[in-house]
Amino acid sequence: MLSETAPRPAATRAPIPVKIVVAGGFGVGKTTFVGALSDIAPLTTEAAMTTMSQGIDNVGEVSTKTTTTVAMDFGRVAVDSSIVMYLFGTPGQDRFGFMWNDLVKGALGAVVLVDSRRIEDSFPALDYFEHRNLPFVVAVNLFDGSLHHSPDDVREALSIAPNVPVLTTDARQRERVKETVLSLLDVALAQAKARARKG
Amino acid sequence: MSDPGNEEPALVRPFLSGLIASSGAPDRGVDPHGQEPAAVRSYAMTNGRSHAAIHLEFEAMLQVTTAANDPALNLNFERAAIVRLCRHEILSVAELSARLRLPIGVIRVVASDLVVDNLLEAFLPSLGVAEDVDLISRLIEGVRAL
Repeated sequence: MLSETAPRPAATRAPIPVKIVVAGGFGVGKTTFVGALSDIAPLTTEAAMTTMSQGIDNVGEVSTKTTTTVAMDFGRVAVDSSIVMYLFGTPGQDRFGFMWNDLVKGALGAVVLVDSRRIEDSFPALDYFEHRNLPFVVAVNLFDGSLHHSPDDVREALSIAPNVPVLTTDARQRERVKETVLSLLDVALAQAKARARKG
Repeated sequence: MSDPGNEEPALVRPFLSGLIASSGAPDRGVDPHGQEPAAVRSYAMTNGRSHAAIHLEFEAMLQVTTAANDPALNLNFERAAIVRLCRHEILSVAELSARLRLPIGVIRVVASDLVVDNLLEAFLPSLGVAEDVDLISRLIEGVRAL
């Protein structure tokens, strides 16, 4: 007889992959951030991504799709006996108008890294996640241990909504990266609970 | 690469050039470090298809089935390489892509065929992860303990 309640032997517990996206401008420290927490040295992969070129050149036309190949770094963290967390750095050479849908689909949330010397570089990433129903936090990476703008300044400069945490991090330090990921998970948990209450 | 009928990406990965050079792909009169041969090669590996039968996310994890241990099994290059790697450990699509130096799109198509052929078992990410309070709570506990 087939039994749905038959216990699954511990040795063959199915892995549960979970994905977190690490976004931000070029050179902001995404790969360092991923590497600080990953069990393995960050790996590089390449994928074709669809880009919507909107506009300027073809006013009045439907946006045209083109495909471009981008490199991404990622790492893997065994969180417990079955959960495997993948941290994906978004492609660094991004500009306005690119699409990350393929990468972001199914992600639990995102960390948007900000270089406080080049705050504006994080704008495409922020803009993207603000328009998705995806939990995210903004983390100002302290490169040389100094903060050129406070989190409050960054929040104001980038018009970040009050419900989105803006914190500082250091992509080189595992404990700081852990804290940053935990703050994202807290946001994700709060949103999941809110949805459960509604639903 | 301006052929409008070609679905392959316009830019092809420079990291494939070594693989192309050693894989015996036909020399089509293009510089081996150029972009043209890689596109031809990727296309050949997926039998000309660009869509997978089963959608595998970047983080979908793959494990060999007992059928994959059949010694009589005769698999071609990429199928064999994927099965060989997954025999040692459960690996994601992204890891297979990085280790085999093949674009994610190629791994997706070939691996999904292997799942259809019952040589690989896929563990897919939970679709309802955003609502899964238990899973997120476990993640928090696990990350704190890292």
